[in-house]
Amino acid sequence: MTVRRALTLLCLAAIVVLGVASRLLELPFIDRGWAARTMARYPDRWPDYPLFLEGVRAHTEPGDTIAVIVPAMNWDGGYSYAYYRASYFLTGREVLPLVTPGNVRLQQNFRAAKYIAVFGVGLRSPADVVWRSGRGALLRLRR
Amino acid sequence: MTATLVAILSLAVLGIPITLAVDRSARGPLLIGTAFLYGSGTVYLVLLTLSIAHIRWTLISITIASLIVFCAATFIARRRAGDVASHHTKPHLLDLAALFTIVCYALYATLAPVWEWDFWAIWGLKARTFLEIGGIDWRFLESRWNTFVHPDYPLLVPLNYDFVALLNGGWSDRWMGLLCVAWAVALALVARSLAARETTPFFAALLALLVAALGFSRYVGLAEGALIAFGGVGVLFIRAALPDDDDIAWRHAALMLGFAANCKNEGLALLVAVTIAIATTSWSRLRKLTPAYALAVPWLILRAAHTLPTDIAEGSTVSRLLARLPYAHQIVMFLAEQLYKPWFWIAILIGILLAPAAARSRERFIFLVTAIQCLFFVTVYFITPNGLRWHVLSSWPRLTAQIAVPITFAVFLMLANSLRPEEDAPHAEDTRPVVPARSDE
Repeated sequence: MTVRRALTLLCLAAIVVLGVASRLLELPFIDRGWAARTMARYPDRWPDYPLFLEGVRAHTEPGDTIAVIVPAMNWDGGYSYAYYRASYFLTGREVLPLVTPGNVRLQQNFRAAKYIAVFGVGLRSPADVVWRSGRGALLRLRR
Repeated sequence: MTATLVAILSLAVLGIPITLAVDRSARGPLLIGTAFLYGSGTVYLVLLTLSIAHIRWTLISITIASLIVFCAATFIARRRAGDVASHHTKPHLLDLAALFTIVCYALYATLAPVWEWDFWAIWGLKARTFLEIGGIDWRFLESRWNTFVHPDYPLLVPLNYDFVALLNGGWSDRWMGLLCVAWAVALALVARSLAARETTPFFAALLALLVAALGFSRYVGLAEGALIAFGGVGVLFIRAALPDDDDIAWRHAALMLGFAANCKNEGLALLVAVTIAIATTSWSRLRKLTPAYALAVPWLILRAAHTLPTDIAEGSTVSRLLARLPYAHQIVMFLAEQLYKPWFWIAILIGILLAPAAARSRERFIFLVTAIQCLFFVTVYFITPNGLRWHVLSSWPRLTAQIAVPITFAVFLMLANSLRPEEDAPHAEDTRPVVPARSDE
């Protein structure tokens, strides 16, 4: 066997091993229940937030405008997550952000929204409670 | 899960006559792999067309439209009956390893409802939004509050999710990950079949295992899986077409690249890269890519008509480029540090150096396309309006995964075939075996 041939064999083996090797290949042999629970929790900063959004969805109609207030009103500090996640669970409604990526408050969206979905915080503005559950409530501002 | 599996099966069935219309002789893994990809691409076109025609998406409207396509493709396939030749891909025990890998990926992709941030903030969000109104929600895409969904991204993947949701009778992201597995399987099947034309069943099976691993995107729910499959298959078919201008391979390549351009903007970039790479050898061959351009154009027109913004192009790209150019060295070093599976890429580079020179020169097209794609990716980092560090960390591993399959395929075959007795002599003239041959042995 020539040196070149040996190196070629070695290189070919390295490509296959390095390309195929993955921890995913252990999946059939491990407790997938734990992994499944971890992945199910993975997207959410607040584990009860999706359930709250499902409730908001059930108590609103397609076409409604909804603004979300959460403990983190800083874009990178958690508001982006809250806003995007709400957009996903509340499709058909229009979710309005109350903060820009530059952390500028958008008061006009607060005023324009038909509903305010409040999660984990209180709201000082006068509003009627449409629905309440756990740490969250769906409010309708008094105009 | 049943709805997703039925959807995958339906896409494959829809794609069978389309594959046969393109290549009447397709059989075995090539037929199954390309059929699923054509089905996936066709259902996107069907939903896009219905939406443009203001026909609400329902199971009935989609079934009728798909049946029309199915019948037309069957008619064309029957007329092609003259070119039928026998195809047979000899199975190998090692194929079980690829199957095992795929099972592992299926387990991973279905551990939980699709969890990736970009799924529920981009791809899944669009699909779920469109499902609400039974069509593409242009108002949603045009809204200034929704720029985070990247409204300019093409819609093949979201509309495939909508197809699953329509079959399911409503939105559920629990088993959507299976679609990503199906795209990877389709790619592996096509790669297995193409490899079998050029090497032994053992090496072809080993390469299929490798392609299955590289083709499965860890980013479940994103468009990466579809892009890797359509783009990878498209480039591999061009590679197969180049030696003797095989019309069938050109047709497959052009259609697959057209669908890749409808997966992500990188798919569009891939089409440009392929165009440049082909133009360097022969301008006249570009006309063979006409179906790819025809498939890419509708979305480009729609996104221009609806003025959907592209975040990369925000503000002054030139000033950002000029500001970062002095730091080019550091940026490139950072990319090298953040490379996913760096040892794998080093092995690929060593493989290129070890391969016989004649084989290297035959793979020029793949090397060129890969290099151009890399150049595009790096250029985007120089002009991105986002934080450079964040942009690299959040995209570089995905981007390198997108280009891994074709170059790995080429390097693997160069090395494997140089080990075969008839190719022992390095630098031998034209040692590539039977690319255009229609036997898969």
